[in-house]
Amino acid sequence: MNELIERLKENVIQGRMTRDDEGIDDTLTGPGVVELTRMALEHKITLKDVIAEGLTAGMEVVGEKFNAKEYYVPDMLASAEAVSSAMDILKPHLEAADLAAKGRFAIVTVKGDIHDIGKNIVAILLKGAGYEVVDLGIDVPTDRIVDYVREKKPDYLGLSALLTTTMLVMGDIIEALKTADLRDSVKVLIGGAAVSQEFAREIGADAYCADGFEAVRILDSYRQA
Amino acid sequence: MLVVGEKINASIKSVGRAIRDRDEAFLTNLAKDQAGAGADFIDVNAGAGEGAWENAAAAMAWLIGHVQSATDRPLCIDSDDPAVLKTALKRYEGETVMINSVDAEAARLDTIGPIAAERGALLVALVMKEGGIPRTVEERLEAADFIMARLERYGVREDQVYFDPLVLPISVDTSQGLVTLRTIEKIKGRYPSAKTIMGLSNISFGLPGRGIVNRSFFLMAVAAGLDAAILNPLDQRLMSLVKVSEMLSNQDPMCRRFVRAFRKGTISD
Repeated sequence: MNELIERLKENVIQGRMTRDDEGIDDTLTGPGVVELTRMALEHKITLKDVIAEGLTAGMEVVGEKFNAKEYYVPDMLASAEAVSSAMDILKPHLEAADLAAKGRFAIVTVKGDIHDIGKNIVAILLKGAGYEVVDLGIDVPTDRIVDYVREKKPDYLGLSALLTTTMLVMGDIIEALKTADLRDSVKVLIGGAAVSQEFAREIGADAYCADGFEAVRILDSYRQA
Repeated sequence: MLVVGEKINASIKSVGRAIRDRDEAFLTNLAKDQAGAGADFIDVNAGAGEGAWENAAAAMAWLIGHVQSATDRPLCIDSDDPAVLKTALKRYEGETVMINSVDAEAARLDTIGPIAAERGALLVALVMKEGGIPRTVEERLEAADFIMARLERYGVREDQVYFDPLVLPISVDTSQGLVTLRTIEKIKGRYPSAKTIMGLSNISFGLPGRGIVNRSFFLMAVAAGLDAAILNPLDQRLMSLVKVSEMLSNQDPMCRRFVRAFRKGTISD
């Protein structure tokens, strides 16, 4: 059984969604992440092992390789998409077993900004890491974001902006959450080309995430705290 | 090929800092270097007016003053805020000017259209609708149609318009390179007097070997009908390619400019 989990991990690292996928290095054959996930279920391997020892462990290696500039965006996306498909397969089983997601993460590109590529990459990495991700879209007005936080009570709110002009909206959103008495109900994380650690501190965000892997790391650290 | 030098942009961290700290020397040097390297227009983006600035318009007006004192090249005034563009154009000296940019948002076209018509300004138009960057050629053409029809109402001529076909990273969606190229071809077919312009570096986001990816895509775009590019003119290999692409697309009679540049040693083979 351990061998199956080990293969799952290797296939995540290779970004092999299915058996006919050549993968990043064109070295593996046989079932890919989707098939191996189904096989793991058939063999009654615990969901926890499939996720922690297979999918998450694989993505951790991908994150290391990405940080070391050994992997590039398309490599990372291939792995993340494979893991995301595996999570879709596991979802009904997780629900039946009453294993909740790690928390709900609402992600949004702020008003005035239509850039969605970075946001989408972060969303897929968080989904692969076991968070329930709700994508609120791009160019979303501040009051709609506040309404969402009030009504749906997400655990985390991720704000994205690429431009030096639209990053200022992030500060407005945090102020609006304070005014609505909702600031303490949600952790606010920010990201995007123009923003920085320093800017996050200035506007009172909980964290700045340089990329999607850092977002996963920071969220996981909240859960351990 | 019309080259717009992209370096004076507040989203580049060192430039943003220079604007915030009113470091004129840094910015005027950047203008001179780009002009010297062969930029036809100098793009100026002053950001949101952080730091010492009361607002974005004040930062832009200051920036334009200093850049114009350093070079006689026309400027490409880069802001998505109509109020900033208005102030900038008041401050601007000279006939030829480019406005960067509008998209298929009616309100922006209604504000900028009349100004562009009155000034005779060149106008960069992103073929983008509200709700983001369309992923298909058809939707981008719809945006171009909307923009052109709206601008014509205000008396903006087709030949003033530089359509930006939009470039998305190939690393995220490998179908997008062809979408951009087809969009260029279709726009040139539909609006023969209009021009096309694009930024180069977005195509290679997330990839290794970004230089060769950018340069290759540039050549493919020229073959599709690209008229202008927003790029780093200090990149000598890219500027060599500009000369080569002009020659290969029948814009350099007798290959004169290419050979002259080669003799001067400015072509990297």
